[in-house]
Amino acid sequence: MPHDAATLDAAFTALSSWDWGADAKPLTTLDAAVVAAHGDQALRADLERRLTALLGSGASRGAKEEACRRLARVGSAASVPSLARLLPDRDLSHMARFALERIDAADAAAALREAVASLTGPLRIGMVSSLAARRDTESVPQLAGLLTADAATAAAAAVALGSIATSAAAAALQAGQGDPCSSTGAAIADARLACAESLRASGHRDAALGILRSLAETAAGKPAARQIELAATRGILACLDTAAS
Amino acid sequence: MNVTQAPAETRRSFLGRCGAAAGAGISAPYVITSKALGDATTPPASDRIVMAGIGIGNMGTGDQNAFLGRPEVQYVAVCDVRQKWRDDAKGRVDARYGNGDCRAAIDFRELLARDDIDAVHVATPDHWHAPITIAACRSGKDVYLQKPETLTLREGPLMIAAARRYGRVFSGGSQRVLGDYRGIVDPIWAGEIGEVVAVDVSVGGPSQPCLLAGEAAPADIDWDLWLGPAPWQPYNPGRCSGSYSTGGNTWRSYIDYSGGSLTDWGAHHFGGAIFAADLREEQPVKVTFHPADGAAAAYVSLRYPRGQELHHNRPAPLRPQEGPQVAHGNAIVITGDGRPREPKPVPLYRDGETSIYGDFLACVKTRERPFRDIELAVNTMTAPHMIGIAYRLERSLEWDRPTQAFVNDAEANRLLDRARREPWII
Repeated sequence: MPHDAATLDAAFTALSSWDWGADAKPLTTLDAAVVAAHGDQALRADLERRLTALLGSGASRGAKEEACRRLARVGSAASVPSLARLLPDRDLSHMARFALERIDAADAAAALREAVASLTGPLRIGMVSSLAARRDTESVPQLAGLLTADAATAAAAAVALGSIATSAAAAALQAGQGDPCSSTGAAIADARLACAESLRASGHRDAALGILRSLAETAAGKPAARQIELAATRGILACLDTAAS
Repeated sequence: MNVTQAPAETRRSFLGRCGAAAGAGISAPYVITSKALGDATTPPASDRIVMAGIGIGNMGTGDQNAFLGRPEVQYVAVCDVRQKWRDDAKGRVDARYGNGDCRAAIDFRELLARDDIDAVHVATPDHWHAPITIAACRSGKDVYLQKPETLTLREGPLMIAAARRYGRVFSGGSQRVLGDYRGIVDPIWAGEIGEVVAVDVSVGGPSQPCLLAGEAAPADIDWDLWLGPAPWQPYNPGRCSGSYSTGGNTWRSYIDYSGGSLTDWGAHHFGGAIFAADLREEQPVKVTFHPADGAAAAYVSLRYPRGQELHHNRPAPLRPQEGPQVAHGNAIVITGDGRPREPKPVPLYRDGETSIYGDFLACVKTRERPFRDIELAVNTMTAPHMIGIAYRLERSLEWDRPTQAFVNDAEANRLLDRARREPWII
């Protein structure tokens, strides 16, 4: 059986000294156990406990990354503290997010938001990326504050707000629009277009039209913002076609 | 353009208020080059389509040669993270035009920032497909993208949205769908087997983890940029080899960069089968995992909304012979109900073109959607992606197209996408 205690003990013992290039057997054993954990809460919890313990050990980067991959499958709120401790780690931050992004627990999103507040540079952008993937509505105020950060961070925050696409997100994007010819302004405009599409798809045509008309006016007469003007115009036509049908 | 307007506006009244350039930019069929999008003081645009290539390895070289051979293309730049591919690609362009003008870049963002480039062809490993092509659409470029167009199920809708938002021509890149499979397409579309009831596709399985040992990266590859949004792993030539094998020591073998043979060759076989069965506009609703049984290996079946079934590697003894069939070797077998059915015209490449490259270029001029429009490509790729997920979970699933998620299955929905390495975000 892939998930009896002795088999798992052996697999995790091997994984504790595993690194890239080593025998794949402990990992294939764990993968079989992950499959078997579907509907078996006790097995899932046992796997999670063992995987999070490895994260805090002296195991190699490769071994910890492999643990994070499996926590993406079986992790729960119980994994969050161990994963959150890795978010500032330049080597392991991404793979910690690899798990946190997939864990359906409020604590996971909270950990990512906390990291946004404490990190800078590419690592912070990574947190924003995961909040975008989670469509985390609670992060909207925080993301709105990042629209005035450096260009790369601001663009990422815009993408995230466009993914979340609530009315609060749309309002934050409108407030932060600025010059659509700048890289940040173009990213914000793209996110506003995404918000408009989401609103139109959910039946809020007038709200969508408001965003699109505002964008078209902002971009009008600016050659560098031509794509935005045309996109907004297409969006307006789509809204009008929706009304006519 | 004055956009303040009374509530009851129609398309006609809105377009009547727009300037002619804006209206033409939306819908008129003429060559929309970057220069043509300028204002009245911009000189008239060339009839040439200005192109660049991103990812010029094995398949990218083939794509480049195809576009270089087209008289309506002016090829101006190449991009690859490997110096040899970059140098070779630039050399081919310079030889074509007899000069040294082709720009060779390492970072695709440099090419996308250029206003003079109208279209790009992309043949990077699969993990880069979505980030590059979404950025290309936002930058106003039309896109020709090698198959498999997506690495995850979540990427497809985002790519479609970007293409539609910016009015881009976005073609997927299986030259085989219309090229290789006419032997099954034509009789089915002519109604010779009646309505399709079952499709059997035989192709390799999903990708596997890459556990190769690390080596020092050579100086002629930007390893960090090669990895891009994929998890960091140490350099190994077997991780990034562009050989067409999927049995190991190639990026096509590994889960961080590819869906394996299931999506690599699967993009062709599933593409041909789904086209022949006229299912390109649909997505599966049910995924059934059949566990291994004795000597019979596990296999996966999909059911489509109108009841057609598509099987991956269903063992021959398990295939009922209940109706007329057409086959493409051993790769595709399609069974019909044998009932009379009106023939349908087979969708072809535009303007009488005989290649998918010509189809793309024709659509760049006319702004029509190409034969393998990104939405059709994404729909097609849902099949191998869902099959791959079923193999990983070893169980059956149901798919809800409106929400683009598996029904009541949080565990399966964890596999819809994966976190991208900073600073990449889509």
